[in-house]
Amino acid sequence: MDPSFLAQLLLNGIVIGVIYALIAMGLSLIFGVLEIVNFAHGEFYMLGAMLAYFLTAQWGFGYWPIILIVTIVALALGYVLYEGLLLSMHGEGFERSILLTLGLSMVLQNGAVFLFTTTPRMLETGLSYSNLVVGDLRLPVARAFALGLGLAAFAALYLILYRTRIGKAMRGVAQNREAALMVGIDPRAVSRLAVAVGIGLSGLAGAALAPVYAVHPLMGFSFVFKAFAIIIIGGLGNISGAAIAAIMLGVLESLAGGFLPLALVDALAFVCMIAVLLLRPQGLFGRGVRV
Amino acid sequence: MSVALMSGRRQAVVVAAGVIALLAVPRFTDNEYILTLGISFAAMSVLAGGLNMVYGYVGLLSFAQVGFFGIGAYTAALLVVDRGWSLWTGVIAGGGLATLVGLVIGYSSLRLSRHAFAIVSLSFALLCMIVARDWVELTRGAMGIPGLPTPVLDLPGGVRWRLVRAADFYYLLIGFALLAHGLIYLVVTSRLGRAMRAIKLNEPLAQSQGVNALAYKLLAIALSALLAGIAGGLFVFHLTIVDPSIFDFYYTETTLIMVIIGGPGSFWGVLASSAVLTVLPDMLRFTTDLRMVLYGVVLIVAMMVFPGGLGGWLHRRRVARWRRPRPTGAPSP
Repeated sequence: MDPSFLAQLLLNGIVIGVIYALIAMGLSLIFGVLEIVNFAHGEFYMLGAMLAYFLTAQWGFGYWPIILIVTIVALALGYVLYEGLLLSMHGEGFERSILLTLGLSMVLQNGAVFLFTTTPRMLETGLSYSNLVVGDLRLPVARAFALGLGLAAFAALYLILYRTRIGKAMRGVAQNREAALMVGIDPRAVSRLAVAVGIGLSGLAGAALAPVYAVHPLMGFSFVFKAFAIIIIGGLGNISGAAIAAIMLGVLESLAGGFLPLALVDALAFVCMIAVLLLRPQGLFGRGVRV
Repeated sequence: MSVALMSGRRQAVVVAAGVIALLAVPRFTDNEYILTLGISFAAMSVLAGGLNMVYGYVGLLSFAQVGFFGIGAYTAALLVVDRGWSLWTGVIAGGGLATLVGLVIGYSSLRLSRHAFAIVSLSFALLCMIVARDWVELTRGAMGIPGLPTPVLDLPGGVRWRLVRAADFYYLLIGFALLAHGLIYLVVTSRLGRAMRAIKLNEPLAQSQGVNALAYKLLAIALSALLAGIAGGLFVFHLTIVDPSIFDFYYTETTLIMVIIGGPGSFWGVLASSAVLTVLPDMLRFTTDLRMVLYGVVLIVAMMVFPGGLGGWLHRRRVARWRRPRPTGAPSP
């Protein structure tokens, strides 16, 4: 076994794991606070990547303005999504909220197919062909930036959740909705922020990955199911659990990709999920089964 | 739930008329298009009926129906093509395998929660597609298994029925659909169905009355898996090819819409909506993308304003009629 090959696989795995984590953490945050599984989550990742593509291809924006614009647009979309659709669910009917967000996902995904066709598009930026080289390790700059953005988003989310009042309120609602209400936390404001942040993270992930992968309307679809598996593995509603499970899965997939046939790599997330459910149903880092 | 606003006798007449009309279709037309629509209706309505039992009666949202459908299809096709099994045995093996898989995912995820079941059933359906596409040695990969042989059924009495024409498959699938819906009807109108409904309404209360919730949930999942698996096994010989697109998420979304529009927990509502939703979009010739956008809008609107679907609406109307004060002052029955 060549150690530099192994290190390269590990590095790639961590990069992809961080991106998984961006999506899975948002999903987990929304589930934790609202008890809603957002089926449309992947579509916001897709919309983020699409928006990044069109901003570059049509208007020639640079990398950093795009990241900023897409994240802000995604935050705003999250806000609209909550006020427009999710508010009417107010806590009742887990199944109804799934079906509602599934409907939204169908509209967004098939609408995008209808408007843009399924042709994959490559986002060409100045970063596309340059690599960071350290010893034997190579890391494309676009991936390095994605990694950096992901880590920055982790830090920001951590600071929001653990250092601000609204973050504490969010964790409070996630732990015990009734008790949070009793001490005067406004669930609407908290839920709204949670959805906005979750969608914002998803959009950010889309923008960060647009220069790495091909952009097309079905890209969110496969991604979000991995994110579902991740939040089950990490424990439903457990945000740091989701982040750790995402990075573990990214590394595992990357290592498996080096040694196993490709067929098994895509199935790995689901196999891990089912194993976790059988052996430790509350998730690896479960916070106790509350649902 | 009986056909809303209908007495038992009239209901029986209507059902008998419907069955005779369905069975008579090939007598009047050999138009392949119409017969193919009928075959699609038979397959999709069985999927929707099974989903209705799982979601509408026990209250578990499942995305696994298409997985069972595809497992039945692949198992039957592989056993018949590679092992030379007969259609009967292949299809029954497909249904059996689907049931077994349904029990495994149901048991493993229901230990956690209904929420986990929804997510796991979805992942299972996707996993099926990945396995079908990537496990090339078994499933022949993305190309699928084309050119399935014309199946021959050995009927009792030594008759060999070669399923050549569309009408043959029409009889086979409509016949199976009638049996399947009959079985579902028996279950949901019996004591079993009442227990299932009780679990959906209030699980702790049902359990406190001695209802074993897990057993009923698994029963509903297993039965829906069995029917979906058999439907898949039969349907695939009509298609004459099985490939990973049999697991397409499109089927899942369509069956969900059928159940939602028809009204979860309403046997006749779901049956009616699966007929309408098989025929109508095909007649209107929407492109698939546009149709799915429309379905998505329908799903959102239904969830926001109309969560009971057609069956729920009829039920509410009937309840409202019962509650109307009687002008003569006679005691209500």
